[in-house]
Amino acid sequence: MKKMRMLVLTVVYAMAALVLAGCGKKDNGTLNLFMWTEYLPDSVIEGFEEETGINVEMQTYSNNEEMLAKVQGSNAGAYDIVCPSDYMVENMISQNLLLELDTSKLTNFKNLSEAYLNPSYDPGNKYSIPYLGGAGLVVYNKNMVSPDADFTNYEELFNPAYENSIVMLDDFRAIIGVTSLASGFDFNETDEAKLSQVKDKLLTLKPNIKSLDSDSPKTLMITEETAVGLIWSAEAALAMQENENLDIAFPEQGLYLFLDNLCITKDAKNAENAYKFIDYILNAEVNKEISTEFPYLNPNEAGVALMDDAYKNNKAIAIPAEEIAKGYYVMNIGKTVDTYSEMWAEFTK
Amino acid sequence: MKKKKGKVLSRIFTALIYIFLYLPIAVIILYSFNTSKMNIVFEGFTLEWYGRLFRNDSLLEAYGNTLLVGIVSTIIATLIGTLASYGMYKFKFRGKRIIDMLLYIPVVIPEIVLGISLLAIFNLSNIPMGLVSLIIAHATFSIPFVVFTVNARLSGFDKSVEEAAMDLGAGRLKTFLTVTLPIIMPGVISGAFLAFTLSVDDIIISFFTTGPGSNTFPLKVMELTKTGVTPDVYALSTIVLVITIIFVIITQREKKNSV
Amino acid sequence: MSNGSKKRKNTVPLLATISPVAIWLLLLVAAPLLYVFFLSFMATDGYNVVFKFNLDNYKNLLNPTYLEIYRNSFIIAFFTTLICILLGYPFAYIMASVGKRSKTIMMIMLMVPFWTNSLIRLNGWKTILGKTGVLNSLLLSMGIIGEPLEILYTRGAVLLGMVYTLIPYMILPTFASIDKLDGTLLEASGDLGANKLHTFLHVTLPLTFPGIFSGSIMIFIPCLGFFFVSDIMGGGKSQLIGNLIENQFKAANNWPFGAALSVMLIALILIMVAIYKKSGGDMEDLGVM
Repeated sequence: MKKMRMLVLTVVYAMAALVLAGCGKKDNGTLNLFMWTEYLPDSVIEGFEEETGINVEMQTYSNNEEMLAKVQGSNAGAYDIVCPSDYMVENMISQNLLLELDTSKLTNFKNLSEAYLNPSYDPGNKYSIPYLGGAGLVVYNKNMVSPDADFTNYEELFNPAYENSIVMLDDFRAIIGVTSLASGFDFNETDEAKLSQVKDKLLTLKPNIKSLDSDSPKTLMITEETAVGLIWSAEAALAMQENENLDIAFPEQGLYLFLDNLCITKDAKNAENAYKFIDYILNAEVNKEISTEFPYLNPNEAGVALMDDAYKNNKAIAIPAEEIAKGYYVMNIGKTVDTYSEMWAEFTK
Repeated sequence: MKKKKGKVLSRIFTALIYIFLYLPIAVIILYSFNTSKMNIVFEGFTLEWYGRLFRNDSLLEAYGNTLLVGIVSTIIATLIGTLASYGMYKFKFRGKRIIDMLLYIPVVIPEIVLGISLLAIFNLSNIPMGLVSLIIAHATFSIPFVVFTVNARLSGFDKSVEEAAMDLGAGRLKTFLTVTLPIIMPGVISGAFLAFTLSVDDIIISFFTTGPGSNTFPLKVMELTKTGVTPDVYALSTIVLVITIIFVIITQREKKNSV
Repeated sequence: MSNGSKKRKNTVPLLATISPVAIWLLLLVAAPLLYVFFLSFMATDGYNVVFKFNLDNYKNLLNPTYLEIYRNSFIIAFFTTLICILLGYPFAYIMASVGKRSKTIMMIMLMVPFWTNSLIRLNGWKTILGKTGVLNSLLLSMGIIGEPLEILYTRGAVLLGMVYTLIPYMILPTFASIDKLDGTLLEASGDLGANKLHTFLHVTLPLTFPGIFSGSIMIFIPCLGFFFVSDIMGGGKSQLIGNLIENQFKAANNWPFGAALSVMLIALILIMVAIYKKSGGDMEDLGVM
């Protein structure tokens, strides 16, 4: 009997926590948002809710493939806005999951920089509006590498001098792509003969790797456990703030880029609200708020213009336009992905 | 003399195991007060991270969800699992092997596959995505763990005890409740503990089976760890730990008083 | 009593105990299983699943690189299980021999750490084991070592993480089976001095073997799939079957191959259990059937 009472108590306790937290929501139309984790400040959502009276429900994801699986598996129109990366936009278009946009409804569309428009994965931006992005940058510790080390070439990463002292993104397309660039081939190489050379080269990189880490590679750079890193630009920027011995380089072969985009789903139940939201995000002032909280690469020219000099002059955050122009996005490589998977297994086993 | 020595040894061993289990927890608590964001060196004392958390009420909601889902799914899994373990121990029937085989599947199948399949099933059967779907999903992956644990208790169980009770005129249900259940109770409780632990720790299956507006606590933690584990997350874990311990102490007190 | 009437008499309790689990499993577990099985014979165009029957995924399983990953995973899973038995069994034994109230306290104290998210706890270990971490700083300052130890990002660290994450799955079932032994039996064995080990090996251990077996199942199998332990503790450099599968469902986006890997894993585990049943005799005694 006593046990039963305890059980009931527990459930009531949990319910109470639930009800308390659920209070105070207004209802004036809704918007279901499916976003990357830690990518949109709460203050921006609150600002939008206040301005429009629309109630925003946000769910988050940390992986493009999981997002796709969830959107496909859920009832049509469960989510109004999604935020796929470059290659995933192309994929979602091919699966007829995205709504063709009417950019005339987006008064702030003009705020976006030309450098990011008309991308290879969505010519003419018919389905996607660039939101935030980044690049894989080479970061190194000036005190831990020889003075004549030249990181403007990916080749330097393969130098046996860096045995067990490199941290890299745990991302097979990035690492194989960069190895391919170092071998003089394409970032999205599909030629099997060339890839077999890339594989040999990749195995020479293996002894240099201390850790593969996509979540927080900056930590190893800050603690000087690793001398060199191939890490996300935003992480590199944070690492440089914490450790002044760190510097970055832009390898001449070109950067690995990613760009995440705001898209409306084909069956969105609240498409009009979704337009309002995207336009709100594109507003220069709002955009500034986003960049202040999450210093990623920002394609919104007008928003960037409002940022302070520390932001604009930080090359790890505001990557120069010419580097963006020479950079590469991950592309669909069809069945060749099997070869990549196998190389990756060999590399990480 | 020898007995005393054995007691000391077992005390030391127990202490070492607990140290092993609590070592990372101690680090988490300590570093939740660290001024540095990096979780590397302890630089100084601050309460900043706690202050930031108390402004985040969505965390409270997520915690409530996790507790609710954990408790309800544990009750369901424990009921179904205990019955199943008992039934499979007691009876021979056609299809027993299939059930036995199916029990291994939730343990061995990749979580993402189970998550996506459950999502599809919930959509087909019009089960609303949210707390209900989460509870069903969590019970699904917890049932085998309850069955395996209760099995460990049931094996070698003396069937003659039950027969004796029935000879005395007790019905099957009464025999089960008054004779069998008390004997297997430690197994049932152990199974329930494992089920609850699995539920409050689950990320991947929860991601697929939750609906808009019903986040769970591990999903929130996942959000916070995207750019590495920061002291906010440690502070959050510390608060949860403290709440859990207080809750356990209160329920233990109540139990003691009631005895 | 004739056989027939006994059968009839059993029908109601049989249905009452078995039908909930049967229905639950058939609806929610059999479906995913069939889906995985179906998917494993499909192809991919690099993005999406193409519905064309083929056996390529199964041929691909035999790739030497992958074989090596399976071998490494089984070695890690084996040692994790072994260490969990060596640490967990004595702990469960002690837990079973204390008073009722201490038992509850010991069990709750055991479980509390596991209600903190496992990713966070593993990150706690990272803070302890890193090159500039708590352990190394301590040992360096005490002058025990001259150079920081390289513990993190090794296979040893992966093993530690696995044991840490999975040990309650050994302690609880072994506790459940040790606890049912007659208390006087444990005490008697304690009083017998020289014969203690003998009694343990010939009485206690065989009687509690079902607990060890259940625990081993709940440790060995998840160990093959716990990709996040290898990612966090091993620096992503010691891939396990779980990482390989995870990679197919996410980054590589090759679901059919991921499904084939899963089918292989499921088959291997069912075969292992079947062999065990054949060699171990009556499974009912082991509490698994």
